[in-house]
Parts: sequence; structure tokens; C-alpha cells
Amino acid sequence: MAEFSKQLERLEAIVRRLESEDLDLDEALKLFEEGVERLRAAREQLTQAELKVKKVLEIESPS
Amino acid sequence: MGARLDLFSAASAEGAWTVGEVTKRARAVIEAGLPPLWVRGEIAGFKAWRSGHWYFSLRDKSAQMRCVMFAKQNFMLPAPTDGMQVFVFARPSMYEEKGEFQLTVMELLSTEQGGLWKLAFEKAKAALTKDGLLDPARKRRLPPFPRRIAVVTSPDGAALRDIQAVIARRWPIAELIVVPAQVQGAKAEASVCSALNRIARLSVDVVVVARGGGSVEDLWAFNSERVARAVAAMPMPVISAIGHETDVTLCDLVADLRAPTPSAAAEAATPDRVEVLAQCGIVGQRLARALRTASRHVIERLDRTGDRLVRCMDSRFETSRALLTAHSARLDALSPLRVLARGYAVARDADGQVLKRVAQLPSGKEFRLRVTDGEVHGRVQ
Repeated sequence: MAEFSKQLERLEAIVRRLESEDLDLDEALKLFEEGVERLRAAREQLTQAELKVKKVLEIESPS
Repeated sequence: MGARLDLFSAASAEGAWTVGEVTKRARAVIEAGLPPLWVRGEIAGFKAWRSGHWYFSLRDKSAQMRCVMFAKQNFMLPAPTDGMQVFVFARPSMYEEKGEFQLTVMELLSTEQGGLWKLAFEKAKAALTKDGLLDPARKRRLPPFPRRIAVVTSPDGAALRDIQAVIARRWPIAELIVVPAQVQGAKAEASVCSALNRIARLSVDVVVVARGGGSVEDLWAFNSERVARAVAAMPMPVISAIGHETDVTLCDLVADLRAPTPSAAAEAATPDRVEVLAQCGIVGQRLARALRTASRHVIERLDRTGDRLVRCMDSRFETSRALLTAHSARLDALSPLRVLARGYAVARDADGQVLKRVAQLPSGKEFRLRVTDGEVHGRVQ
């Protein structure tokens, strides 16, 4: 699962690139598809996550 | 030899006191005659032993006396310093092994405003300030979307329950790493420092150090210079929520953010996923609008290219037409018809061959004569 902040950063970059003027249609469509997919993944993360709690002692145990 | 013994005959084994008997008696007399009392004086020669016991003298202008304060009495109390004016509540006694008159101190209060705690706090704060650790410019920004959040607190306190509930509601995407620590008592300072050191080695985006309310003694670990320095040394931002809102500890001052309660600390550490979802909606709209804009740009560019193509063809056509006119004018000028119009005529035989010489026109030869408006037939005479 991609890190959420990276996901949002990439989305922001996609939108900004799309908003710039010098794109051919092919590239614009590709970016749009990637943007939609990332947005879907981000939404899924937000709505389906459940808090994971770890005690540091468990982390440190050798198993 | 015998004479000397005689001289001291009164000091017989039966009549003399042993040292131990005297000190024991002195101790009994002192303890019976001087009940526990408050004594006021200045601290001198203060020494804290490894055992935790404190030894010092109390003095004024005319006298001084030895004092001891045992570890179980000075437990968690910040150490006083030489020259400090204090009140002690003490039991006067005799330290028999050394034959010393001594006060066994049960309570020690500074006469300065705020007492020992305040003094120790100010001293540690001054040391931290000197090293620049309280500089507001040191405060780091909290990560907007934390991946891993570590919490240093008591494993069974309300603080942990509150923090966990807030993060589960607001930002369950995160992983919560609980690092249990003793938050009060003699071992709290070391326990909190070791928890922080553990976290410093983990990949964690933000740390919450939390403890519910308590007395100044209960919160003391979070006023220790050692804990404050451990917080300042953390490689990631630290949020501190110690005690009630009115208690500001050194840990709070050094942290990147101070929260009034553990719940508030958890809120500060996390974004609200409802708001982030709304943000995602806005990003989606921008994405759709941007695609529309991008395709409109492509269409406009196509239109412009088409226009240029047509313009280009038009101008080419124009050039050709002009050329054609020029050529036809020239052709026209050269046309034999124009020559005929000026009065010349062309003679040709029946085969159409032009008759240019006398030899081609013998007597009786038939020919056709082309003039400007037509042709006539003739014969050479």
C-alpha cells in the first residue's frame, strides 16, 4: 500500500501537469487515468483503514 | 605502675562508662528532650550519596549541625544546593558510631518562592535555554499525513485510551506504536528516556509523550533536564501533553508542540479523514476539469492548424493565378493573330505549309491567305 502522502503528492503533480497547456491528448488521457486510479486508491485507504496498534516490546522481540 | 592504677582507682571497670554507653545515653536524652521540630538554616557541604541518602550541614552565623535525609524521605525531591535557605522538619538525635549530634531530616522546604521544585525547574530551564533548546525556531512542523505514530505513556492509563480512540476515529491509516513507560515514581525519568531512545531508532513520523494530571511530584520526571534533553534530541517532531493545562513542564517547553490534553495531542498529530476525503473530492473535480481543459486546448490547436492550412493554400492559389495572367498577357502579345491584326497576312498551301519564299509561289499555284478576320483563296498570276 503506497504511502498516503506520496499518493496525494503524485495526484497534485498530475493535476498541475494536466492544467498546464502543452499536452497532447494521448499524454493528457494517460495522466487522467493515473489520477483517477490514485484517487480511488486514496479513497479506499481512507474509508477502509483500521487502526493497527503495536506495543514496542512486540516489535523488539526476536520472533 | 601500681601507683598510677591507684591514682585512677575511681575509674575502675565498674565505675567508668564505656563510649557506647555515653553515646547511647546522650542519644536517649536528646531524643527525649528535643521532639521533632522545624529548624531554619543555610545548607552547606551538601552531598548526595549513591545510596540516595543526603548529607549536609545546616548553619547560621553562630553554629552548625550535621543533617542526614534518607533516600526514602528525599525520594523524588530535587536536590538543594549549598547556600540555600531552608526549613527542615527533623528529629534531633545522636549518631552513635561517630558520636555526632545530628538532625534526621524528614521534610525539607526551600524558603525561596515556589520552593525547591521551582528552583530546580528554573535551574534546568536556564541550562536548556543556554543551549538554545527552548528557541521557538527549533519547533518542527508536524507531518500532515503521519504513517507511524509513537506514544510514550503509561500502558494502562486513561491517556493511552484517549489517544487510541482519537487516532482510530480520525486517522486509522496510521500505525500506532505504544512504548510503555513509567510516568511517575523514582524510575520515571530513566523509563521515559529509554522509551524515547527506542523510538528514535524506529521509523516513526511523530511522537506523543503523554501523562494525565497529578501533583508537582507526580509530574516531576517531565521537569527533569534529562527527559527534556531526550525530547529535544528526537529526530522526529514530538507533541507533549503532560498534566493539566495549567502545568507547564520542561518537556512541554522543549517539545515541538504542547497540547493541553492527551486527546488534543492525538488530534494535533493526525488529520481528520473526513476532511481529507472532502479534499480528495476537490482533487477529483480538478482532475476532470483539467482533462476538459487539456482536450479543449488540443481541439483549439487543431482548429488553428486547419486555418493555417487553408490560408496557406489560398495564398498559393492566388500566386498561381497572378502568374497565369502574366503569362497569358505575354502569350497574347506574341500571338500571330496580333500580327495579322496589324495588317500582315500569312499564305499557306493546301497542306497548311507556310509559303514564305518566291520559289514556293510559282505561277498558277493555289494558296490560302490568312488575314486578321478570316481566310481567302487565291492563285498566283
